[in-house]
Amino acid sequence: MSRTSQAGTAPAPGGVPLTPVFVRLKLSLLRNGLRQSSGRTAAYVVSAVFALLIAAGQLLGLVLLRGNDHAGTLVVLLAGVLGLGWAVMPLFFPGGDETLDPTRLVMLPLRPQPLVRALLMASLVGIGPVFSFCLLLGSAIAVAHGAAAVAVAVVAVPLALLTCVVLARAVATANIRLLTSRKGRDLAVLSGLLIAVGIQVVNFAAQRLGEAGGLSELDPAAGLVRWLPPAAALGAVDSASAGAYGTAAAQLLLSAAAPVALLGLWQRSLVKLMTAPDGSTLAAAEPSRTESASAAGRLGRLLPEGRTGTVMLRSLRYVWRDPKTKAAWVTSLAIGLIVPLFNAVQGQGTIYFACFAAGMLGIQMYNQFGQDTSAFWMVALTISSTRDAYLELRARALTLLVITLPYATLVTVATAALLGDWHALPEALGLSFALLGAMLATGSVASARFPYSIPQDSAYKNVAPGQAGLAWISIVGGMLAAALICAPVIALTVWLHVSGADGWTWLLLPVGTVYGALATAGGLRLAAPRTAARLPEILTAVSKG
Amino acid sequence: MPDQARDQAQGRTPEQPATGATGTAGGAGGTGTPPPAVRVEGLWKRFGEQVAVAGIDLELPAGRFIGLVGPNGAGKTTTLSMITGLLRPDQGRVLVAGHDVWRDPAEVKARIGVLPEGLRLFERLSGRELLGYTGRLRGLPGTETDKRATQLLDVLDLAGAQHKLVVDYSTGMRKKIGLAAALLHNPQVLFLDEPFEGVDPVSAQTIRGVLERYTDSGATVVFSSHVMELVESLCDWVAVMAGGRIRAQGTLAEVRGGSPSLQSAFLELVGAGSRDTGESLDWLGGAR
Repeated sequence: MSRTSQAGTAPAPGGVPLTPVFVRLKLSLLRNGLRQSSGRTAAYVVSAVFALLIAAGQLLGLVLLRGNDHAGTLVVLLAGVLGLGWAVMPLFFPGGDETLDPTRLVMLPLRPQPLVRALLMASLVGIGPVFSFCLLLGSAIAVAHGAAAVAVAVVAVPLALLTCVVLARAVATANIRLLTSRKGRDLAVLSGLLIAVGIQVVNFAAQRLGEAGGLSELDPAAGLVRWLPPAAALGAVDSASAGAYGTAAAQLLLSAAAPVALLGLWQRSLVKLMTAPDGSTLAAAEPSRTESASAAGRLGRLLPEGRTGTVMLRSLRYVWRDPKTKAAWVTSLAIGLIVPLFNAVQGQGTIYFACFAAGMLGIQMYNQFGQDTSAFWMVALTISSTRDAYLELRARALTLLVITLPYATLVTVATAALLGDWHALPEALGLSFALLGAMLATGSVASARFPYSIPQDSAYKNVAPGQAGLAWISIVGGMLAAALICAPVIALTVWLHVSGADGWTWLLLPVGTVYGALATAGGLRLAAPRTAARLPEILTAVSKG
Repeated sequence: MPDQARDQAQGRTPEQPATGATGTAGGAGGTGTPPPAVRVEGLWKRFGEQVAVAGIDLELPAGRFIGLVGPNGAGKTTTLSMITGLLRPDQGRVLVAGHDVWRDPAEVKARIGVLPEGLRLFERLSGRELLGYTGRLRGLPGTETDKRATQLLDVLDLAGAQHKLVVDYSTGMRKKIGLAAALLHNPQVLFLDEPFEGVDPVSAQTIRGVLERYTDSGATVVFSSHVMELVESLCDWVAVMAGGRIRAQGTLAEVRGGSPSLQSAFLELVGAGSRDTGESLDWLGGAR
């Protein structure tokens, strides 16, 4: 290479070998991550130990699976899921590994081939690869019978691991422009939600599988997956054990071809990334929001004039556009629906579970100003009296009601329909509305008294460091207070049932509704002067994220 | 100790604004001699052990283009936050256009426009939506808000990006939309914290044009900056801040004194002599 004359002053290719430098960089970053704070160290160590324990458990479990009829099916599918995991992981955790972010390296005089080699070796260091290696090794042990199969496994396991790692790098590099853009970061913030929903789906599927007659159900799926790398590597081991050497050779060949092809793809997008101009912001610059703007215009005309409508429109837009707010809302909506309905479907529920919908959505009233982040200054500058603060809080409560009232009603009616318990519908609705009113009341007071920052860049942090105590007081204290405020309505319900006056339980609908409305009004009246008097303190508290 | 420091600070501020030059500013203030745009008396702020603002006194004349200059960490942002009511002072009084910021927030908040530094906007709104939101919260009628928003977006060269979310704006565009939001209700005094920080020259020129036109109408602009050339070319009145204190205040000529430029006067005032880089970098520029 022509740069060798400068090899003494710069770590140019051909001078200092690149791979050990990157591996050392990765190790130092891991080590420094541990040093940052004792809390973080503890969390890191705990999660690492946890991951290794799971890996070891998996290894053991898979070894014990040896000889099972369906071991081949299970192992192949596991490898398939592992490969899928490696493929989507960089999309959800884009900031996960700084050493592998090629855009940080553009200024260095590096050639693509040594760079790819070095990045590849560096990405093999870490908990993820160790975890995957344990899983693949256990899988191979579970299905390898005979010398030929063992020989195939010795080649297959590293190939599968390599495929996983290269797959992740290729996906990440191909999408790096997306991942470093605002849309990519929004996607990452929503990832927590997708993972939570994904776990539910897996959980449900596993239950269904248990009922439907075990792993043999999966054999057709495994028949396909065993031809897809990285699962094909374990398919090869399985085929070799069965004596199908031709099939085994073909699968092994596929397993070897996959990482080579992916490496080529990775290198190509790496070269393109580091040499071609960035056009990703061009698309975002097109002002093509006219359609949604007119929809919002129609919505705006429906809302009242003045502060109330303005604040409501802004809050509703945020529910849709702000990933953090959206994630919180979707979680609340989903849990509020899942708990009563799933319990009803399983035949163990009562209609009172429908109050969950109102309760979960009521939580959104807590820390209203924390949801604004430091943009709260724009609100603070326009609040100059208790009246302004009252209107602001009332508009936010109304926004919640616009969504929550129909939703809670719908969930309650659906639960009643599933249970066939129409008689209890009015009282369940009444209780829901009373609870909702109490939560709006305590939520407004907590918003004024115990505001805290919500970090915007992470899907998993909902409280800024040092404010966890505040958040606890706000939410747990608020919910206890809400339960207390609701106590009279709950007591009335119990009394009506105990005294045998079941015919009068419909009374709880008007009583609960009026009670909830009064509670909300009272809470807003209480919170407004506190908000108006504490604007600078609230701004300071919510600006830490 | 605090009292001592306070006395010192007070001792440094006898200069009264030169009222002769502000004849045209009478329209903004009302009848007779206008009250100062901002009067600050004995303002203190501590964050734990650290004293951010150590008992400053300031009197900023109305109708001027006023620069608050100082190195990073001088307490400019803290001071502006306390003047605009976004941060509660530990001690002291702030009057804006004759009204106490903390006792009479309604009068003050209606008269001021603010562009803070380091605080977010409602970034998930488009530029136009943000202006619509701000204007209506300020109590302007909807049609008037939309009319003013259209004009501001045009003048600030944001019309093409008005339907884009603010989160996708560049730094310069954010400063411009923030400025538009601060101007929307035609405030009497405008406070801008580092309005030119990270702004490209074209946007800076646009902002400058709008601000000059605004002060020509008799309104007051108070902005903070650490770029002396900018302050020198824009401002006719300057307050120099360092270490939480006001080191000098007055017209540009008064503060500059005998120094050739505001830059050198400033370095003298904050006591930053020319630091010798010495021989430690002798390899730099040597044989490669």
